[in-house]
Amino acid sequence: MTATSSKIEALKRQREMEVKKKKNQSPFGIIITGMVITIYLALINYNLDFSSYWIIGILMGITLQRSRFCFAASFRDPIMVGSTSLLKAVLLAFIVSTIGFFIIQLRASVANPDYLITELPGQFNPVGLHTALGAILFGTGMVVAGGCASGVLIRIGEGHAMQLVVLIGFIIGATLGAAHFPFWDGVLISKTPVVHFPNHIGFFPSLILQLLLLCGLYFIADWYDKKNNIMTT
Amino acid sequence: MKLYEKVIKNPWPYWVGGILLGILNILLLFLTGSTWKITTGFLYWGAVVLEKIGLNPADWYYYSTYDHGLKEGQTFFLNSYTVLNIAVIVGALLAVLWAKEFKWKKIKNFKQFSFALLGGILMGYGTRLSFGCNIGAYFSAIPSFSLQGWVFAAFMFVGAWIGSKILFKYIL
Repeated sequence: MTATSSKIEALKRQREMEVKKKKNQSPFGIIITGMVITIYLALINYNLDFSSYWIIGILMGITLQRSRFCFAASFRDPIMVGSTSLLKAVLLAFIVSTIGFFIIQLRASVANPDYLITELPGQFNPVGLHTALGAILFGTGMVVAGGCASGVLIRIGEGHAMQLVVLIGFIIGATLGAAHFPFWDGVLISKTPVVHFPNHIGFFPSLILQLLLLCGLYFIADWYDKKNNIMTT
Repeated sequence: MKLYEKVIKNPWPYWVGGILLGILNILLLFLTGSTWKITTGFLYWGAVVLEKIGLNPADWYYYSTYDHGLKEGQTFFLNSYTVLNIAVIVGALLAVLWAKEFKWKKIKNFKQFSFALLGGILMGYGTRLSFGCNIGAYFSAIPSFSLQGWVFAAFMFVGAWIGSKILFKYIL
């Protein structure tokens, strides 16, 4: 009897310590918040571009962490547990950014009608077999390591030592890839084109088609979840 | 107090995160003229290490093609990628501190360590072939109306399938 109650007492104390430990995080939160704001103000004077990267990065980090956003899981969960709620969130993000990118690109193309694709705001790279090969390597590594590029950053912030190892792996892999780049460029990349849909079918048809495709995928994901999710019945 | 519980203490629904990330993605392109990219920053950190041990990575063929080189006035250490990547880490740290959930989690065993390292290397190597990671070649490329993003998405799915098989066989 006494043994049990002393055990309970010990557990209670342990629990109290845990609560105290948690409460002690507030000062750190305030200090870091102060540092973030100070750095932002300093960057505004030092390098305006950097200040934008800084504040948006902070907001992205908060959003990714708070919403438990995980690109790796968005690809893994439909396969492993039949859940698509994260995939649907990624598709929502795509629908929103497609509209925004469309307006930014359209404005740039109106301002400079003789634009080269690479001069437009956006992400434009040659596409071909190398894209597929790289994506397969990336997807495999993402599930094996349990995190993608953004997930690694978020989990380092959360305090996972393991993700520092993934980051080191990332750095080694990217360095090796860059070192071998002349080979891949020679056999695969150099002859491949950059494909920008508006360049082929026009801006408005591209927008409509892409939104239809994204919404279609959203509904398929929704249907798939209802049919296959093993967490809900 | 209710607002604190809802915004800071409890996780946000996935769809809220999705919409906010979409907006931030647009805001970044609008304010800086550049899209969100992560792994090129990791490569640059690798180049910092190579420079420290006396090599000269800036001379590599890689940096002379496809606009891969450093922008004017930037170094492998101090550049927009470093600022953005550190900011994302600090943002996540802030969020867990406000929620009082920060906890240092140690590496469990050697098996976990080796899979983390191997997965990281696979991802890192892949990004140089595909010109980007799940952010650069996917999250930024699809809204850019670039075919690269859709091809990357389809084959990342194939890779995730292979990875899941490996996970079932060796890890779980």
